[in-house]
Amino acid sequence: MISVFFENFNMALSSVLSNKTRSLLTALGIIIGVFSVTLMGTLISGLDRSFEGSMSMLGRDILYISRFEWFGDLEWWEVRNRPRMKTDYVDKIKNKSRYALAVASVMQRGAELSLKENNIRTEIFGTNIDYMETISAEIVEGRFFSNSDDRKGRRVTVIGYGIKDAFFKGKNPIGENIKIDGEKFRVVGVLEKQGKFLGLFSVDNQAIIPQGAYMRLFSKRGWTRLSVKVPEQKLEEAKDEIYSIMRQIRGLKPSEKDDFAINQTKAFEKQYSSIKIAIAGTGFFITMLSLVVGGIGIMNIMFVSVKERTREIGVRKAIGATKNMILSQFLMEAITICLGAGIIGLFFAYIASLIINNFFPSTMPLGLSILAVLMSIVVGVISGIIPSYKAANLDPIDSLRYE
Amino acid sequence: MSLINLQNIYKIYHVGGEEVRALDGVEISIRENEYLAIMGPSGSGKSTLMNMIGCLDTPTSGIYEFENEMVHIMDDKQLASIRNRKIGFVFQTFNLLPKATAQHNVEIPLIYANIPKVERLEMAEKALVSVGLGDRMLHKPNELSGGQRQRVAIARALVNNPSIILADEPTGNLDSKSGEEIMGIFDSLYNEGHTIIMVTHENDIASHAQRTVKLFDGRIIEDSKRNLR
Repeated sequence: MISVFFENFNMALSSVLSNKTRSLLTALGIIIGVFSVTLMGTLISGLDRSFEGSMSMLGRDILYISRFEWFGDLEWWEVRNRPRMKTDYVDKIKNKSRYALAVASVMQRGAELSLKENNIRTEIFGTNIDYMETISAEIVEGRFFSNSDDRKGRRVTVIGYGIKDAFFKGKNPIGENIKIDGEKFRVVGVLEKQGKFLGLFSVDNQAIIPQGAYMRLFSKRGWTRLSVKVPEQKLEEAKDEIYSIMRQIRGLKPSEKDDFAINQTKAFEKQYSSIKIAIAGTGFFITMLSLVVGGIGIMNIMFVSVKERTREIGVRKAIGATKNMILSQFLMEAITICLGAGIIGLFFAYIASLIINNFFPSTMPLGLSILAVLMSIVVGVISGIIPSYKAANLDPIDSLRYE
Repeated sequence: MSLINLQNIYKIYHVGGEEVRALDGVEISIRENEYLAIMGPSGSGKSTLMNMIGCLDTPTSGIYEFENEMVHIMDDKQLASIRNRKIGFVFQTFNLLPKATAQHNVEIPLIYANIPKVERLEMAEKALVSVGLGDRMLHKPNELSGGQRQRVAIARALVNNPSIILADEPTGNLDSKSGEEIMGIFDSLYNEGHTIIMVTHENDIASHAQRTVKLFDGRIIEDSKRNLR
């Protein structure tokens, strides 16, 4: 049987190659199908990686308390009318909670950072010393500001890696002064490089200053949120506890609605998984559609091929080919077209993944590539089986007489 | 001891409600190393008889014995195997695979017989040399003359060392000179001890044979022998 297999494979190859244009056109559907499914997998893998990175910036064990709910459906004016978060909630939560490991109040506004002729428009954060425990980034140079820096309202700042790169270009920034909205601040630390959040904006161009200085110089009220670090394995209990503490702080009666929201990375995960399903669904749909269309094309061309070679089939039968040998010969031809198409599709997907990789890190998943090739073989078998069966069952006498 | 034995063979078709008896009670037995010509006008059933002997067709009724094997009760797979091992076909239109070399064309029956590659190439070469095409092995059919193509086809028929060679109007598509050459090959194959059964409507060609069977309306109307040696 091995020699028949090789004969069939060689015949299939020479038949496909002697009709190059026809084979390529026929294979187009499969090429597109394999290309799209592989590309989709590459995209999702890249998104996954970027999402994982971004989520670790946020931290799964952090509860974010603010006026609005992430991905919530409240009207903006309802959110606006809620009372603001206050910095004294920090101590109240710390006193009452059994779970809170660190509580940071974070104020945020846009500001212009400058050093000599360089300036960058970015976000600044005013916070307390617990802040470092609520983010995943570490200090790579210098130190974070201390409790006394905060209490005394000292003008010190911890800058993001991007600011260091832009302002100091490899020189040591510690002890140097920069200006934040015209106010002089001394750099005491640098945060490690973190990259973009969800591929949207860089978190490396930030400056963190003590809340004391922030409130004195920029804004007493401003947009404030709380970050509460809790034990990751007690997340749900901690959330329930913080929730009731917040209601207590806000003095809400049982009948009154919440006027705050406790957010978790889970909200992002939920949102993300629905995006992922949408991408996967679209990709799957395109893939299936092109595979079905491609499969029909291949079936059609196989019928043509059988018709064209009716006489050959007759001769082969006369000199001793069995039905199964003829069947496998044509099946092999269909599979060869599909397999070739699959490999071409993979090749283009690989090129595309290299291009995509320039925008955000992604790799072509190996498992999916193998699956795509297997899938093209399956399409080959499915679309080749009926024409091949027809060929195998041709009457040798009629086929020999066929003009 | 006969090689082929057909007893009371009928082949009946129904065309538009009408019964057509392509073979109407044919009885014939063929011994080893016979050189037989089947003749008859078109529609006489000679092609049907040849297809029957060649195991491409099965009778509606009757008994067909081939080397003591009961062909008339065989299934497709067994028929394919007997064609592969015991019968060499030579067609009027050569019927070579256009994209394959002469050698590969001759190799195909051996592929179906599952003979290993090295042996196959050797056997194909030997067969091609025996028909005088040792120097044309790697040529494709379109690079060969009609006579050469038919010789490739004869090599293909011979390569499996079959019990009979079945030739259907083997010179029908050839000029008279090439036709003579081909007939010369058949004659020498007969002299080497092969059994040859040939369908023809030309008396010239039939005169090479040692036995002539004439058909008319599906019946044998004449069966004559003469001594060639």
